[in-house]
Parts: sequence; C-alpha cells; structure tokens
Amino acid sequence: MMEMKEIDARNLQCPQPVILTKQTLAEEKKAFAILVDNEAAKDNVKRFAESRGCKVRLSEEEGYFRIEIIPEHAKTTLEHPECSIPEPQAEKQNNKVIFITSDEIGKGERKLGTRLASAFIYACAQNEEIPHKIIFMNTGVRLVTQNEEIAENLKRLEERGCEMLVCGTCLDFYGLKDSLLVGRVSNMYEIQSTLIAADTVVSL
Amino acid sequence: MGPCDLEKILSRVTSHTSERVLSSLQSGEDAGVFALDDKNTLVQSVDFFPPIVDDPYTFGQIAAANALSDIYAMNGTPLTAMNILGAPCTLDLEIISLILRGGEEKIREARADIIGGHTIEDDELKYGLCITGTLDRKNMWQVKGALPEDILILTKPVGTGILSTALKAQFISEDGMEDAIVSMRSLNSYAAEILSSHRVHACTDVTGFGLIGHLKNICVASNVSAAIRAKEVPLFGKTHEMASLGMIPAGQKRNKEYVLEIVKIEDRVDELLAECLFDPQTSGGLLASVHPDDAKNVLDELKRGPCPHAALIGSIEESEETKISIDVR
Repeated sequence: MMEMKEIDARNLQCPQPVILTKQTLAEEKKAFAILVDNEAAKDNVKRFAESRGCKVRLSEEEGYFRIEIIPEHAKTTLEHPECSIPEPQAEKQNNKVIFITSDEIGKGERKLGTRLASAFIYACAQNEEIPHKIIFMNTGVRLVTQNEEIAENLKRLEERGCEMLVCGTCLDFYGLKDSLLVGRVSNMYEIQSTLIAADTVVSL
Repeated sequence: MGPCDLEKILSRVTSHTSERVLSSLQSGEDAGVFALDDKNTLVQSVDFFPPIVDDPYTFGQIAAANALSDIYAMNGTPLTAMNILGAPCTLDLEIISLILRGGEEKIREARADIIGGHTIEDDELKYGLCITGTLDRKNMWQVKGALPEDILILTKPVGTGILSTALKAQFISEDGMEDAIVSMRSLNSYAAEILSSHRVHACTDVTGFGLIGHLKNICVASNVSAAIRAKEVPLFGKTHEMASLGMIPAGQKRNKEYVLEIVKIEDRVDELLAECLFDPQTSGGLLASVHPDDAKNVLDELKRGPCPHAALIGSIEESEETKISIDVR
C-alpha cells in the first residue's frame, strides 16, 4: 500500500484542524491522516469528516490522536474489507425494504451505535431515492418511540411515501405501545410477507 | 479561562474580605457586591475578549451588552462604565473608534455613562468594559436561593460559541448567524425588568461556562439538583448543523469537564443537542430560577416582549447531593 499523506494539526486550536481537513479533502482524492493533540479537535475533525461522507479511523498515539480519513470515493479502492461497500444497483427499484432490528448500528460502543443509527435515518431522509418500506423490530422500535429528532426525519420519509411498519409485539415487550411517534403498528405476518415480497432487503 | 482552572486558581487565592463584601470569589457570583452603608450597595463587574464577529461596531455592542449582563443578572442598575482595550499598533484607528462607538451606544441604551478607560498595546485585539452599578439588597438575585419545584427560565437561545467558531472557519457568514448577533447585542435589562416583578429565587447570566456550567453554580450554591429538558432549550438557527460539522469550540470540552461528575445525560437525548448545552456563550441570556406559580406569566411576558425565544427549560429538585439530569423532555 502507498504511504498515506499526513497532516500535522497538533498545537492547533479549533477550528483550525477542521479547516485543514476541509482543505485537504478538497485537494486529496486518496485517504489521508490528520494528527491532532486535543480531544476537542479530535471530535470535531471526526464529525466534519463523517458529515462529508468519509470513513474515519481513529487511533490514539503517544500524546496525540491520529485520524485516518477515507474520502467517500476512495472507499472502494482500499483493500480493507469494511470499506468495500457495494455499489448501488443501477436499475431503479421501487420495492426496497430496510429491516431495522436494533436501535444501534453494529456492535461496539453503544453511544456510537445509536448515533450511527440516527445519522443513517437522517441520511435516508436526505436521499433522493427512498425505500418502499422500513420495518422496525426488537430494540429498533426505540427509533420510532424515544427520539424526536429521528422521528422527525422518519415523518419526512413517511410524507414522501415510505411506509413504516412497527412490530407490535416488540412495542408491548418494551412498554412503548403508547409512545409511538411515527409509523403504524404491524404484526409478524405482515412483516414476514413484506420481507419475502421485497426485491431488496437492507438489514441493520 | 476554563472553569476548572479558574476554580483551582481561586481556591489558592485567600479571599480575606471585610464584612461589607457581600459576594465571594468562590461562590460563582456574577458580580462583586459591596455595601457602602446600610442602604446603598455597589455592584461591579469586568469582562473583555477578542472579537467574535468581523464588524467592529457590532463587536463593541456585543462586548458592552456582555459586560452589563453581570449587573443585570444580580438585579442591579448600571451607573458607570470604563473601557478596556488592547490593540496592535498597526490596527487602523477607524476600527478602534468603531468598536468604542458600538460600546458607547449600548452603555447609553443602558442609561449609564462611560467615564474613562485604559488602552494597551497588544498582539491581539481585545475589548471590554468594567461596569459599576447599584442594587437594592433586599431584591438582589444571587446564584444561591433556588428552591425545589422552581422552574428554570432561559431568556436567550444558546449557540454563540459554535457559531462564532464557524464564522472563524468561514463555514458561515455573519448573515448566517444574524439571529445570534442580534441576541448577543441585546441587553438583558429588559428581561431583568420583567423578572423583577415576579418571585425570582436565583439568577445568573449564561456566558463562558455554558448553560450547564452556570446552572451548576446555581445548584451548588443553592444545594439543590436540576432537571433539564434538552428539547426545550432554544438554539440559534444554524447551531446544530455547525456542531455536526465539527465547529464546537475548545472551551466546550472544559465546560463539560467542569460539570462531568454531577451531570447525567439520558441516552435518548440527541448527542449534538447535548453538546450544545455546554457551548461557551458570549452575552447569553439570563437563567432564572422562578417560583413555579409565576413561571408561566414570566414566560408570556418575556415572549411577548424582549425575548421571543425565552423558554422554560427545566426545574429545580430537592436532593441530598447536587445533580443535573438532562433528558429529552
């Protein structure tokens, strides 16, 4: 692998490290690393890069943080398996279903996982192409009951024609039946047949 | 300077004061209070900082509104002001005079007078003022005095730290933060006037330590806990968006550390919204702990009048040890 370009933003106060990241992103097509020496700069650079659709890898070195930033278009060219995101299919499909079974994405720090889930819903609402249906099951039902921000984004999707099916058994189990903010209560039969009939199911 | 460092420094400064000093350095009071005699009480404060907006006149206005705020937060009336200015010798004199004129305009609006000042040569431009006023001791507001079941009222939105960071990074223009600029240069006197006709048990103004940092001062001094409804806390328009782009100022981390031990943020609170609650503010609003029966009226009067974005953001609770809990609502 080629040597990664490194930008030293140590000894710099916010917002300088973010400005440097922004400039570098505008120039670089390939992944690069930015070095910062304080928590605030680390969080800010990470937030900024993620807001630009980049993948971020963080490592703590002695006395500083190293933040690897992989621009969106560079992802597929990297060899790391976690970066090889399948290209969206070319043909338009109108029967895509997103199957959400947890209120967090991936296994790791819960705080990160829930934030990712929130960001995912936000991104869905921003996207031109919307899924046909979204199914919420198990702790996924928390996304439609406990967080106003997420509910707002889901409502926007709903207004544009995306249907939200929420597992009734799960709502009951977590005592959330009265807290539904968006979507409609569904059952296993409907959910099962929706999944079988779907052209594409994206599971989270 | 961050709140933790300041606390450390002040704890090493022995504050030997006479009985006539009615406020102490350690209590986190907004201004110094000194009894002149049985009747008359002096209240004083000083604040200065580097420019947070590009326009010099606006900067002057904001600096003055910010300096006056400490007096209003104690229900005082400003009388006189002294300018403090540090500027590089290369700086255009026109800019300096614009800053001072902006400051003067606000001091006049406050019906006070500028009676002097001091300037020094400095690598970085800084401006602020020292304000002297009086207050009625019986109606003085302090950080101590908040009672369980009180309602917390915030008179201005938060987000000036994030927005001025974004301005510095050229992520937004001054137009993009117009709402924050209007807010920063507006005096807290009008809100204080409304509050003063109701039962205010404690009050402070929200500045450098962020909303939760200043709330901590109230809670610790009053020996109570507080519950904040994060969704009710008003933010300036682009605050959340700029926070998501990494525009959170370094001081925010220090503010968070200052309250870390006593704060609990529920998982369901939007993470970025929670971050905004620690954002250091310039010329922020008043945070008042008000008798529950008066809160609704105060809010109505504020919203109809000088503070359209005022909000009831939480309540005071009884507890053995001071805690601040932050939930969605």
